Amino acid sequence: MSSLKSHITLILALISILFSIFLFRVFSEILNLYQKNIVDNYSIVIVSTSKIDSVNIPIVEKTEPIDTTKQIKTLKRKFKNIDFSKVQLPYFYKLKLKKLPSPKELKELENRLKNKAFVKRVLTHSSSQTKIYNLLMLLNLITKTFMVIIGILGFLLIVKQLEVWKLLHNERMYIMELFGAPVWFRGAALFKIAFTNSLIALLITFGLIYFVTNSYIFNVIIKELNINYHVDYIREFGILFVVAIAISLISSILVVVSKK
Amino acid sequence: MAIIVDANNFSIHYDNTQIIKPSSFKIKTGDFVFLTGISGSGKTSIIKALYGEIRPKGSVRIGEFEMSRISKSQLATLRRHLGIVFQDFRLIPEWNILKNVMLPLLIKGIDKNQAQEMALMELKKVKLSHKADKFPAELSGGEQQRAAIARAIIHRPIMILADEPISGLDEYSASVVMDLFKKANDEGITVLIASHSMPQDFSREYRQLHIEKGEVYELS
Repeated sequence: MSSLKSHITLILALISILFSIFLFRVFSEILNLYQKNIVDNYSIVIVSTSKIDSVNIPIVEKTEPIDTTKQIKTLKRKFKNIDFSKVQLPYFYKLKLKKLPSPKELKELENRLKNKAFVKRVLTHSSSQTKIYNLLMLLNLITKTFMVIIGILGFLLIVKQLEVWKLLHNERMYIMELFGAPVWFRGAALFKIAFTNSLIALLITFGLIYFVTNSYIFNVIIKELNINYHVDYIREFGILFVVAIAISLISSILVVVSKK
Repeated sequence: MAIIVDANNFSIHYDNTQIIKPSSFKIKTGDFVFLTGISGSGKTSIIKALYGEIRPKGSVRIGEFEMSRISKSQLATLRRHLGIVFQDFRLIPEWNILKNVMLPLLIKGIDKNQAQEMALMELKKVKLSHKADKFPAELSGGEQQRAAIARAIIHRPIMILADEPISGLDEYSASVVMDLFKKANDEGITVLIASHSMPQDFSREYRQLHIEKGEVYELS
């Protein structure tokens, strides 16, 4: 019974660590994709007194002229008494950014643009952009903090388990050492238990991952965010396998090495 | 005969207390040696120094190894060539007797089936083959000590170090255990037994190292 309990403790600890690692990765990826999506759909509009090719600011990826032909036609129709050939019309440009700027970066960018002689006006849509940015950052912070806490709790459970293992296996390992057994021999039973436990934890975690990522809610969220996200199960399995084996092997080596 | 233990002006300290004063002795291959002294005289400390559990000051050589500065890997190598017997047997409680006896062979990398066969033969010699599948807790003290001796000699060590091996055993078990040490010695294995007193009616040539007030000297 106590042995079963000690197995369950390690398995649960491993599951919590593996699952939080997976969620950490998924959230990061989803947020990145979502940020990219916002960046793709976000632009700053500037009104320029002259034709320009670029604004020469590093964060700005592209400077695209806005086609105003349609608007001018409409104006010409509405204001027939104005001779538009004599009016110097401004040029409108859409600035595509390399990344989603923070409110501070956006303010700095706005000031830099306003300082340029050819820029008459800058439209940043800053209030809606700032809201989205802050919301994303908050979500990022909350999820990552949550995952780190789960990870730490899992780690503490494993440390606790190490103490139990030390008590359970210390005598046997000591006797083996008295007969000149090398580390791998003394730890063989522990390594076996650790390996089996990590495989069980990995399979359970993977079942959970499969269930969560195929759930209705998960797919609705992905659809709502309008991003193209798919879980690469093979890659995730590989990463979690390496993590699970590494954690359990390091734990058992620590028990073998710090035998007293 | 070659010298197997060469202790030269060595001493043993625990923290700042000197347990064994600077002493010297030699043990030759094939010797049967008793290390005697009252309880707390330092017999166990000398045995421990010989299997590397504590580090002596001065020089204690076992074969090619200098125990005062032996490395971990050298110690493991040396221990694979020693047979150690403890007063409290130190059998692995969750292993049956057969597997316990197999231990030194498994550590040496001998095939499991071959080790099993050899362990059964060794258990036959100590008259425990019928209890091969029993666990240590199911055996009497004398039986456990016989199993421990089988474990200590199965890999034909260069020397057996026994710390109070008959202490706590009844007279019959004690004489059986001593007979096993004699047989091992007959096979050429050096035997060093730490004991607070000499066993009665011990019919064999032996040497006696005695500890008194921290000094080790040979009784003729």
